[in-house]
Amino acid sequence: MAVDPITFSIIRHRLYRVVDEAVITLKHVSGSAITNEGHDLMVSLYRADGSLLMGGVGFLHHLTSAAEACKAIIRRFEGRINEGDVFLLNDPYTAALHTSDIYLVAPIHHNGQLVAWSACFVHVYDIGAKNPGGFCPDAEDIYTEGYSSPGVRLVNKGELNQDVLDTLLNMVRSPEMVTLDIRSMIACNNVAHDRMLSLIDKYGYDTVDEACSQLIEQSEQQLRARLRELPDGTWESRQYLEVLDEVYKVNLKMTKSGDELVFDFTGSSPQSKYSVNCTQWASLGGLFAPLFPLICYDITWNEGCISPIKMIAPEGSIVNCTRPAPVSVATVGAIQSVNNAACTTIGKMLQTSEKYAKEATSVWHANHFAIFKFGRSQRGGEAIGIFTETFAGAGGARTYADGVDVGGEIPNPISRMANVETVENTFPIRYLFRRRMTDSGGPGKYRGGTGMEFAVVQHDSPDGGMHYVVSGKGANFPMSEGLAGGYPGAPNSYQWVHNNEAKAEGTNVDVRGTQSIEEMPGEKEDVTWGVFPLMGDDALYVRWNGGGGYGDPLARDPDAVVEDVVGGVVSADAARDVYGVAINQSGNGHDAEGTAAMRSSMRSARLVLEAAE
Amino acid sequence: MSAAFSGSLAIVDTDDGQMIACQSCERPLVATGQPWKPNAAVKELPMHGAGGGAYESADHVVLRQFYCPGCGALLDTETAMSDDPFLNDVINV
Repeated sequence: MAVDPITFSIIRHRLYRVVDEAVITLKHVSGSAITNEGHDLMVSLYRADGSLLMGGVGFLHHLTSAAEACKAIIRRFEGRINEGDVFLLNDPYTAALHTSDIYLVAPIHHNGQLVAWSACFVHVYDIGAKNPGGFCPDAEDIYTEGYSSPGVRLVNKGELNQDVLDTLLNMVRSPEMVTLDIRSMIACNNVAHDRMLSLIDKYGYDTVDEACSQLIEQSEQQLRARLRELPDGTWESRQYLEVLDEVYKVNLKMTKSGDELVFDFTGSSPQSKYSVNCTQWASLGGLFAPLFPLICYDITWNEGCISPIKMIAPEGSIVNCTRPAPVSVATVGAIQSVNNAACTTIGKMLQTSEKYAKEATSVWHANHFAIFKFGRSQRGGEAIGIFTETFAGAGGARTYADGVDVGGEIPNPISRMANVETVENTFPIRYLFRRRMTDSGGPGKYRGGTGMEFAVVQHDSPDGGMHYVVSGKGANFPMSEGLAGGYPGAPNSYQWVHNNEAKAEGTNVDVRGTQSIEEMPGEKEDVTWGVFPLMGDDALYVRWNGGGGYGDPLARDPDAVVEDVVGGVVSADAARDVYGVAINQSGNGHDAEGTAAMRSSMRSARLVLEAAE
Repeated sequence: MSAAFSGSLAIVDTDDGQMIACQSCERPLVATGQPWKPNAAVKELPMHGAGGGAYESADHVVLRQFYCPGCGALLDTETAMSDDPFLNDVINV
């Protein structure tokens, strides 16, 4: 019997709040900056069969992968799943995205019957891979990417299997921090368990179960109805991933027919020898990360959203690699390229609809830079941690507005970065500057949001400095594609500034007083892939991509361009050469006639060039 | 104009049926159901410096630009290598 609408709405909302409170628990218990500062996490609820019931916030490409994790545990432990159990799974060839994103999945029983699952992940402090922190550019295969389990019982009927935890801790760096991560996930699942049972106690199992069924049915009906409102067609996108001298492609053709969508990655590159590959579960999650917020923004994210979607990912390709290919960089490698490619095709489709065009967006922050610093802290302890700036992102331009500067990313609606002071308190480093990056936002009628740039040096290190692992693809190819004539956002840049050598050669520039990379005396060396030192006065300089632009830059409001120049986010050169705006001599306005003439001339030049070719 | 194809292109009714056309000048490019890019003016710029000083791409990366051959409006862009095929979008109405 159908649940009455009011009770249904209350239960739907309570389910979301179960997830919300579990996320808060995760953040409060974990001691890792990547979790409680960067919000590299996820919590969701699943039905008894492992299908997605209520997707939570955090990295959205985990919602479907964690469903697969639940199903893998059900298969492995069939008939042996007890009340109070918690299972750990992090094998990418079973369900996880990479080994350092550990899933803890917990059954929820009511009156002895398995009624649901909660699942969560954090990127643990370390997983024992060849390189500290989990992202492993030196990995040759999955066997060098650390501890990996296709499913193990971590908690048995409420009692921690200490031997299982100790086996994991014996294989990782900083086991005390990994313990905090693991305990944060146990606590998170405990909260989800208790709140779910409170919900069932209040409304009764049959009512809650029926509401959950209705919720999934409702989502499927709503998504199919939305797809029927959009025109049939095919839309293509392409992403390039370069690692050192190798270039890989993720090709996508998205076909919408009736009330179904097919994402076809045929033609993508064969799997790589480098760890940028991803498995099929990861690709599926990768395409849902933009689909949930862009198409299902007002639809509950559950199994009903998955039914109308099909994926074709050729086996042995970079988006469906086969064991033992390395995958530790997947989340910022092939998965993110799948995110980006799907964001573009979905955006192209949405902009065809007057009703849904406002939901279309150019690609946001398309290129994470996974840089993990490691060494001894100023207090003498072991310190490993990501530069959480990678979660700060950059907004893609929309059909009606600029992208938000440093505006986050589509696949994780709650991503953010740590304060400079927080990082300096934890690691022996000092920031020289951190600010919005000029000209990084993709030009367009609506400009892509800017990324940022920062530089750090060691400070007060007991060892004279630290080292860092960089998995920095994307320095050559912009990845935040624009729409409708908008340019892509600028690419990333990672540079080792050799100030020590400059100092030895006699420079008297005080590096710690410099405010830009141009002021630094040392030679600049691109460092995109591997392990590098941060010692003495040497600096690490990083800048990250802006969001993609929307529409022809010559159609941008000249006053908005002037405002960008005054604000330092667009250079005077770009204002003239890309936007065709004649900035006046005072620099705070533009010459209207000059701008009109310049733009007319630039449009004509486009056609003259075409005729000449 | 009857509908949008993108933020720069529209679907218009003509004597030859529905066509994809430039939104700025309404110049028809191709019938719906067909890829429009082969009928646009195409230019490939080095990506290096294309959007300003932060665009420090390698020489083999280009910004492919598709213009309306009638008015010069920029209709679409692609990040590409020169020998890569166009990304074609087709709508069936």
